[in-house]
Amino acid sequence: MRRVTKLVAVAAAATFSLAACGGGSDSDTVDSGDSPTSDIKVGLAYDVGGRGDQSFNDSAAAGLDKAKDEFGVEIKELEASNGETDAAREERLRLLADGGFNPVIGVGFAYATSMGKVAEEFPDTQFAIIDDETLAETPNVTSLVFAEEQGSYLVGAIAAEASKTGNVGYVGGVNTPLLQKFEAGFKQGAEAVNKDIEVQVKYLSQPPDFSGFAAPDKGETTAQGMIDAGADVIYAAAGGSGGGVFKAIKAAGADHWAIGVDSDQYLTAEADVKDIILTSMLKRVDTAVYDFVKSSVDGEVLTGVQRFDLSDEGVAYSLSNEAAIEPFTAKADELKEQIIGGEIKVSDKP
Amino acid sequence: MSTTLEETPLEKKAPLLGLSKPWRMALYAFAGLVVLSLIRVITGANDLTSAGTVNAAVMLAVPIGLAGLGGLWSERAGVVNIGLEGMMILGSFGAGWIGWQHGAWAGVLMAIAFGVIGGLVHAVATVTFGVDHVVSGVAINILGLGATQYLAGELLADSPGGGETQSPPNSGLPKPSIPGLSGLLEPLESKHWFLLSDIAGILRGLFTNVSLLTIVAILLVVLTYVLLWQTPFGLRLRSVGEDPHAAESLGVKVRLYKYYAVAVSGGLAGLAGGFLAIVASNLYREGQTGGRGYIGLAAMIFGNWRPGGLMMGAGLFGYTDAMQLRNAVAVHALLLVVFALLLGLTVLNLYRRRWISAGVGLVFAVLSLIWYLNTDELPGPITTMTPYVTTLLVLSLAAQSLRMPKASGQVYRPEGK
Repeated sequence: MRRVTKLVAVAAAATFSLAACGGGSDSDTVDSGDSPTSDIKVGLAYDVGGRGDQSFNDSAAAGLDKAKDEFGVEIKELEASNGETDAAREERLRLLADGGFNPVIGVGFAYATSMGKVAEEFPDTQFAIIDDETLAETPNVTSLVFAEEQGSYLVGAIAAEASKTGNVGYVGGVNTPLLQKFEAGFKQGAEAVNKDIEVQVKYLSQPPDFSGFAAPDKGETTAQGMIDAGADVIYAAAGGSGGGVFKAIKAAGADHWAIGVDSDQYLTAEADVKDIILTSMLKRVDTAVYDFVKSSVDGEVLTGVQRFDLSDEGVAYSLSNEAAIEPFTAKADELKEQIIGGEIKVSDKP
Repeated sequence: MSTTLEETPLEKKAPLLGLSKPWRMALYAFAGLVVLSLIRVITGANDLTSAGTVNAAVMLAVPIGLAGLGGLWSERAGVVNIGLEGMMILGSFGAGWIGWQHGAWAGVLMAIAFGVIGGLVHAVATVTFGVDHVVSGVAINILGLGATQYLAGELLADSPGGGETQSPPNSGLPKPSIPGLSGLLEPLESKHWFLLSDIAGILRGLFTNVSLLTIVAILLVVLTYVLLWQTPFGLRLRSVGEDPHAAESLGVKVRLYKYYAVAVSGGLAGLAGGFLAIVASNLYREGQTGGRGYIGLAAMIFGNWRPGGLMMGAGLFGYTDAMQLRNAVAVHALLLVVFALLLGLTVLNLYRRRWISAGVGLVFAVLSLIWYLNTDELPGPITTMTPYVTTLLVLSLAAQSLRMPKASGQVYRPEGK
């Protein structure tokens, strides 16, 4: 009997430790024979959502995969869990830096505080953070940031052109300064095309509650409310909640359009809703990650603040829903040239 | 013996206007509707009683209500279940994992099964081993999250359209409507007449596009009432939550009843999670529950550990949440609704000679009126917290004589052991 109890205790302990590392499933990759090899070991820590979110994190993963295939770098990826503390993020970065991974990339502004600390502990390791530039002063941190307001400006203009009711919506996941850049650009773009347009704005949750990125039901309810109030084009900058917005638009029927974000969601969304996705505001996190890894393989690592914008295709709008987007590309491309040329200044504050 | 088990009556005063309870409730509901309609006409915020709002409110209320119902079963048998959130997470994962492969109903069953597993773990810890209920519940919340993250990595990572944090979409459940009703009521609703259009909007919201699982949820509330308050089984189960030693002396198998209750509790919480993954959205997504298990627990407490009160709590939360998600203008009008509600409660509290509550209610009522008159729109962060504040205010001022099951939260050890 006693032995049985012991066995149970061991099994229980095993279960707990499994559960404890549930958030940290990782993948080591060993080079196979015929691919190019490199001594560089790249560590990458994901934001909440991780690989498979069909949006922001997947975009980072795509860039990493491409770098791995081309340069044969060794990679290690660690996942984040919902509602974790800064201490957990610190631990994750430290684990990578300690394991000899250099460079170490943190996906998302959530890593700002923790990376600031860990970067000081490992002065010889090059770090990179996506979507944050508060660490611009730290010499071994590269800030990879995007001009989201410029891309959002273009989709805002497209939304205003496509809208028949003169009423468009913006659904943001969590009310953070980053998401406010999307809102600001979208509004300015819409107003540039139609100065009387009504732009409805709603954030699904307020920080520090980040559930707004993972609540498709709330995205759907909000979009439904906007449609009932007259909106016919809605821009979903809400991570995983965007799927709910697409559902609401689909249910509203013809002449209603959704605009996706980060990845080309016309290609990644569920088959039955993809035809209502007019375009997506592309944020080339993959390009940023790839360029950064490439620079470290080349031996001239990118440092300081690296801003990706319309001029280098770091942000863009997607064209994959060809028939739908075709009537609006002329105007959007004209505005794009004006932004690149500096004739239009897009503010990043709503 | 049975006298000790009887509920202490909520009000000792003579009932209002000498009406019996159902009539009184109907009167309150009608008065509320008239006030709501008046406010809608005054403010022009037509979303207050639109079909869309009511429909969204039901969708948001059901998971909270089901979680609360789970809490009610468990606490009625004397086991505090703070692990509802973890069981909901397990349920949403079960539904998402099976739902995309074998259909939505299989997903629902899996959600219940996963919830029951969570409930049984809680029962083993608290009933058999006498672990503190709160400690065990918190452990289940952590375990539920960790286990699903681990399982998702194993079971969903390679699925088409899924990943480590989400499942592929499932087909969902049918959402039938009463035929012809929508066509009949929609023109009436769009006239925006006083009272008539409101009733039309509410009826249309309640009876069109109702998910089958919503109907199941409402039946479960009724079933819970009948089982726990109208049958010998229910009497025994509740006696275990009031005084387990007395129940034991009368031959009730205390531990067995606790097991029943906590397992059912887990199943209901799992179903709440399944509702999120199958009806509210069509996939499992990590972090989807968003603390709704805790809100369900709160709804149960404010509902005085009764199914009816719990439904009102969940409904109020769902309604205000739907408002804030759908329409910022209407949320501003909601300030006026809060004013009216609090004013009504103040009058009621004055009538019951509860001076302090009446005073507090009046202060908040006046504050919300001043706020309404001096602003045009609420700032975003405040809009988002409306459901929490409103529910807290209204329920804490309305329900004063809360009485939890006497032995709830206590560790029970059988006599002579």
